[in-house]
Amino acid sequence: MTDVFILAIESSCDETSMAVIKNGSEVIALTILSQMDTHANYGGVVPEIASRMHTENITIVLEDVLKKANMQVKDMSAIAVTAEPGLLGSLLVGVEFAKVLAYVYKKPLIKVNHLIGHIYANRLEDKLHFPNLSLIISGGHTELIKMTGDYEFELLGETQDDAIGEAFDKVARVLGLKYPGGPNVERLALEGNNTYNLPKVLNDDSYNFSYSGLKSSVINLVHNETQKGNEINRADLACSFQVAAVSELKRKLELALKNTNIKNVIIAGGVSANKYLRNELNDLCKKYGATLNMPSFIYCTDNAAMIGAAAYPLFLKGEFVNLDLNANSNANIC
Amino acid sequence: MHLFIDTHLNDITYILYDTKIVKKVVENGKEHSKLLMPTLEKLLDGIIPESIIVVNGPGSFTSVRLGVTIAKTLAYTLNIPIRVISSLECIALSINDENKLVGFSDNNGYYIGSFDNDMNLLEDYFYLSNKEFSIYQQDHQVIINVELDYEKIISFGLKMNPINPHKVNPIYIKKLDVEK
Repeated sequence: MTDVFILAIESSCDETSMAVIKNGSEVIALTILSQMDTHANYGGVVPEIASRMHTENITIVLEDVLKKANMQVKDMSAIAVTAEPGLLGSLLVGVEFAKVLAYVYKKPLIKVNHLIGHIYANRLEDKLHFPNLSLIISGGHTELIKMTGDYEFELLGETQDDAIGEAFDKVARVLGLKYPGGPNVERLALEGNNTYNLPKVLNDDSYNFSYSGLKSSVINLVHNETQKGNEINRADLACSFQVAAVSELKRKLELALKNTNIKNVIIAGGVSANKYLRNELNDLCKKYGATLNMPSFIYCTDNAAMIGAAAYPLFLKGEFVNLDLNANSNANIC
Repeated sequence: MHLFIDTHLNDITYILYDTKIVKKVVENGKEHSKLLMPTLEKLLDGIIPESIIVVNGPGSFTSVRLGVTIAKTLAYTLNIPIRVISSLECIALSINDENKLVGFSDNNGYYIGSFDNDMNLLEDYFYLSNKEFSIYQQDHQVIINVELDYEKIISFGLKMNPINPHKVNPIYIKKLDVEK
């Protein structure tokens, strides 16, 4: 069979990224232009500024990735683009850009869901094993999904309010840590101990998650202690929060491992870059004789390589879209 | 054949221009993303344009951005010259007055620019809220509601210098809340 090369484009949040992916798994070239430093000035991603920067950089990123791959757009088998979910204005820049490439070079166009991309990031370094339990944990999502085959998803549970990454960012803010909050909470937690008694996240037997209660309890604790003039041990609080947040993921994942007897677990999304979380979930999986698959750090955060990997099964099925493709800020996997 | 792209307001205007306007399409719709490329594909009908002129704002942020993204990507991939013209230049070119103090409104206010008779910019573009504008109008004569003369705009645009597609970007003028 001839090799399939997919040029993938990702612009759903604050990274302008493109990649050339061979046969759905081999990264020929990857360029990620992060806007993080700009948004850090505002304490978080400013959607309008993110969209502006995508337009400013998009042809430059294309030039860079093609140079790295030593290929041209005409050499590609298809163009793939993240069309959902994400920041609408940001998604639209990538979508229009992808459509121009598909039009000029007469290439099939593939629409990719960003969350599915996070799962397929695992295919860049290993096979995807089925059935599996996929845990998507990011700034916008906390979902536990059962996969029985390529593009066969069953939603087991999801967050009822805040996403886990959102809780990390809010807690970071109240602890006076800079954006991006997640990695900074993790760093501070290393210096502390689990001394604060925080409430259980969602103490039920569903596969659903809830993080707003935990987040609020940290915020209230900080405010109350500050009002009383008491000192807060920030490192201890960061550590206690992280333990509580991860223990709830563990509890729900353990429930699923027990109930389904599935032996493959995938973690995906930006929060899966957290080392404490990786270690804890790894230990849990070992206990149940399950294998934990997690992408390297570079493929955990937003990148176009995972979009190329997720596009490949759609390419094989011939699932292409037309030039009237629209972006959708609020799409789910299933 | 030259391609002209204007998306600075809610309309999408595409024009094919040779020595005069050959074909003009105007589409209006809320979801620009669904319309922009299908309309362009229909208009071009296989023709590869020899150059592009794009209106790079100011105007509706998203709409301008998508028009500019399409234009710069086309120019870059087809390796053809691209030129930019502002929406306010388009308006100034469409009137015969000597003092070209011109503007147009979005929902919340007015974008304003002033040019001399040779189309030199006299003052940086600015944006006034509706309230500020009504005060400003008391001692200025801003010409608004101008119908665009695309023949004039395009023939003027073609005399401008092409720019590197990487450097083609929208102008926004209006300040964001986080910038205030």
